Amino acid sequence: MSYLGQQLVNGLTLGGVYALIALGYTLVYGVLQILNFAHGDVYMVGAFIGFFVMVGLGGPLAPSVPVAIMVLIMFLVAMLGTGLLGIVIERFAYRPLRNSTRIAPLISALGVSILLQNAALLLFSANIRTYDTSSYIPSTLGFSFADITIDGVRLFVLVLSIALMFGLARWVNTTQVGRAMRAIAYDRDAAVMMGIDVDKVIRWTFFVSAALAGAAGVMNGLLLRGVSNGMGLVPGLKGFTAAVIGGIGSIPGAMLGGLLLGVVESLAQGYLSTNFSDTITFALLIVVMLLKPNGLLGKRAIVKA
Amino acid sequence: MSENRVPEEIQENAAHEAAKLGIGTDEWVAQHEERTARKKGLKGVPQFIDESIPAWARWVVLLAAAFAFGAFVDNQYLLRIGVNLGLFVMLSYGLNIVMGYAGLLDLGYVAFYGIGAYGYALMSSEQLGHHWSTWLSVLIIIIGTALLGYIVSLPARRLFGDYLAIVTLFFGQVFVQLVLASDNITFPWADDYVDITAGANGIPGIDPFSFFGHKFLNIRDYYWLLLVLVALLTITISRINRTRIGRAWRTIREDALAAESMGVMVNRLKTMAFVTGAAIAGLAGAIFAAMQSAVFVSGFDMPLMTMIYAAVILGGSGSLAGAVMGAIVMSVLPEVLRVTNYSEILFLAVLVLTLAAVGKSVKRFTINIVSIALIGFAVKILLGFASIKITPTEEWVVGPVSRALSHWMYVPLDRVLWGNCAFVILIVLIAYFTTTTPRIKTILLPIIGYLGIFLWEVRLVTDVNTTRQLLIGAMLVVLMITRPQGFLGKPRVEVL
Amino acid sequence: MLNLSNLTMEFGALRSISELDLTVNKGEIVSVIGPNGAGKTTLFNVITGIYTPTSGSVELDGKSLLGLDPARINHAGVARTFQNVRLFLNMSVIENVMSATYGHTRAGLFSSALALPKSRKEEKLVRAKAEELLSFFGSRLTGYRWDQPAYSLSYANRRRLEIARALATEPKLLLLDEPAAGMNPKETQEITEVVERLRVEKGLTILIIEHDMHVVEGVSDRVVALDHGVKIAEGDFDHVATHPNVVEAYLGRGAADRK
Repeated sequence: MSYLGQQLVNGLTLGGVYALIALGYTLVYGVLQILNFAHGDVYMVGAFIGFFVMVGLGGPLAPSVPVAIMVLIMFLVAMLGTGLLGIVIERFAYRPLRNSTRIAPLISALGVSILLQNAALLLFSANIRTYDTSSYIPSTLGFSFADITIDGVRLFVLVLSIALMFGLARWVNTTQVGRAMRAIAYDRDAAVMMGIDVDKVIRWTFFVSAALAGAAGVMNGLLLRGVSNGMGLVPGLKGFTAAVIGGIGSIPGAMLGGLLLGVVESLAQGYLSTNFSDTITFALLIVVMLLKPNGLLGKRAIVKA
Repeated sequence: MSENRVPEEIQENAAHEAAKLGIGTDEWVAQHEERTARKKGLKGVPQFIDESIPAWARWVVLLAAAFAFGAFVDNQYLLRIGVNLGLFVMLSYGLNIVMGYAGLLDLGYVAFYGIGAYGYALMSSEQLGHHWSTWLSVLIIIIGTALLGYIVSLPARRLFGDYLAIVTLFFGQVFVQLVLASDNITFPWADDYVDITAGANGIPGIDPFSFFGHKFLNIRDYYWLLLVLVALLTITISRINRTRIGRAWRTIREDALAAESMGVMVNRLKTMAFVTGAAIAGLAGAIFAAMQSAVFVSGFDMPLMTMIYAAVILGGSGSLAGAVMGAIVMSVLPEVLRVTNYSEILFLAVLVLTLAAVGKSVKRFTINIVSIALIGFAVKILLGFASIKITPTEEWVVGPVSRALSHWMYVPLDRVLWGNCAFVILIVLIAYFTTTTPRIKTILLPIIGYLGIFLWEVRLVTDVNTTRQLLIGAMLVVLMITRPQGFLGKPRVEVL
Repeated sequence: MLNLSNLTMEFGALRSISELDLTVNKGEIVSVIGPNGAGKTTLFNVITGIYTPTSGSVELDGKSLLGLDPARINHAGVARTFQNVRLFLNMSVIENVMSATYGHTRAGLFSSALALPKSRKEEKLVRAKAEELLSFFGSRLTGYRWDQPAYSLSYANRRRLEIARALATEPKLLLLDEPAAGMNPKETQEITEVVERLRVEKGLTILIIEHDMHVVEGVSDRVVALDHGVKIAEGDFDHVATHPNVVEAYLGRGAADRK
């Protein structure tokens, strides 16, 4: 029982991170109908920014500001930085292709992904960096509940990811840009004719989606995973899986898909096989795609003739 | 109303002339559109090549060159490049069928290559202790990959576009993960674990091909094999493309629903495309494994996938000549870049060509070159005063080009730091360049040119692999923006 | 030839076609008219197998078409054009027509690859047939245009090419979805003649959706009017055009009352 509970908690934490990545895919897909394959690499950049902010503030062993503030600054700077990166990527790799063939943005995205990975390799070398979270956030922090331990970092990551998701939902539903975004997702041509500044909305979409990926990158670092230039691939694919499972283009779908995927992966690791957990996750995706091509919460498109 | 009327006879004459030239008739209008679409200057080069040299002549020249290469080149390293090129062409052909003709976005394509390679490795090495005959293993691989292609095509019946891309991408990932994880499988009925694929360690000691008692001990044997295969594939695929099946594939790419309403068995054709592509990739994989005598799963992951896609798209999706051209660029270019001396020459050539293309006139071009030279000297002199330590010339000069440059180039001691700074500044400047006014562009261009040379000499030549990847990435983005149909492809019209 | 009975098509709560009975006899030209959203194109999509009807039956020469995929329905002898013209834009004009012979040609992967005599002969026949079909439209689609990409054609020529492509599938029944839409009066007149010639020269039975009443009047043996998926009138042109239900559907209740 406690083992199951522990796996569930771990899965939810992991799922929160996946959900944030998945939201980025879904937002961009909803507005532009393109698969932003460079998204995983934006996440990688976020993790690096977080790392260098931490080093800039004195490093894990002797932080020059209180730990809470340091973590806060890490998140803010990483989100801002990746957000701007998102805008730049959209401006240079996607905007010129808005009226191009269907495959062009996909290939362009692959190009951006390769560029980001190798730019990071050139600038930061292939060394794996770690956040050394345990040296400034003691692992004893947190609480236990009926044999299930939730350490401070996990709790923090879980709470923050849920908070960000709610923030996003609020943003999409209540702000003017958010409403315009939904209008564009529904019918871009009509939105343009209604006087919506499409460029502005798309910029915002990319900013928000990339900022979420940046936050996910820092969370990944805090959860004590290595930071390196190739780290974006697998979480990128998983975030993507989550978005697809939930129904790409659907915001609640991405959240649900992310959490579900995290839990499934965690359970697969705990009960089936550590080696095959990724295989199981990807196989799950293929099955969902075959049974419900539009995902769990996606809308079914009517074929027009 | 104007009273200045044109005299009738002139009018009549003009009409007569026009009729003689065919002006205004449908045919003239159509040709006029073609004439105005003709691009001038450097941008017109692909079109010029495409129109002025007949296709068969290009193939004959290519074949002759390939034949001469195999017959006269003795250098093992060069032959190996030739073999890699042959494999790359096969892979591009296969992907060209799936993506170029049938329009199916198969991002797991490279897995078939991997399965072919691993399949051969397992049937012809000590890993499982099998040493089957080449005929048998190759036959099994072709049938096996074709069968797998059939299975992967089943989702393609229901999915299209991006969704198909996703599922196939994961198929590729499942293959990689399975190979990685299959070095340590405990079956419920056995106590001990079983090692099937050796995981990330790869499988060494794979037998070479052996046909009719002739063992392929020389790399040249593989070269000839691939040359024959590629020639056969070129002929057969282009025949198929021209006739019933090929036409039907292309109708699916254009409009699957209309195709189905016109009696085209869409699902069967999708499957056929997948199966054909998969079998070609599987065969290529088997040849690769036998030639390399070792396989590693990391070689069949996303990086190779992107390279194949880049090759097909660069040359022009849907064109066999394009696939060959793309394969040449993608497999030979990295080797050229590996030799620092060549890479310097190549880089400077590209830089000069770019300047020529951007500058548009000889005068501009000269001004740009001179400005770059002046910036170089200015930097060298100014920073000379600042007494920052420089790298001794002997340490960074790799050939005649950099020796010539060494009189002009300022190379600081901490090359990594300065190179990284230059890299970031360069990217920012290029981004700014594309959005700014023509006046600022004129000023920026020489600065960007200088920074480019600086970065190349200080940082990039020392880090060949990263550089190559950076160039491929940048090329994909730039290509999609400037010429999405690829170098030899025809411009496409799509109704979304 | 074509027999629809009690046909109903629902999309969720929306009932696009409601208990429709329709018969088209061999050699007949039947027009389907009705305001936008009356379910005309949906009817075509049901007949050609793009949609599966909620209930009812679709029969061609007594054989049910239900459950067949669009390709097989085409092989059974039903060809169509599309309201928004769906050509294979990046293929040449003649290839557009040649590709539509897929259903009644045989050449496979291997016989094409090896260029066996059988497949070569078939290829020649297919090309000759495509050239003949394109010549059906006189000088409009002949000669130098054959090898141009379909996207280079004018709008009217695209519609003509679409008809030629449908003919290449060797249909018994041809469904034309607004063949005169977007054409000028002269081209519209031509289309009227083309439809009549299709019956006479090709021996086709034709079901046609059209908004241009001149065309409808010019070609139809019989007219069927739909509104909200329900058949509101059927008969010859004059009968349907003056039928109060039809006037009401197009112009509203007041107009029908004033009449």
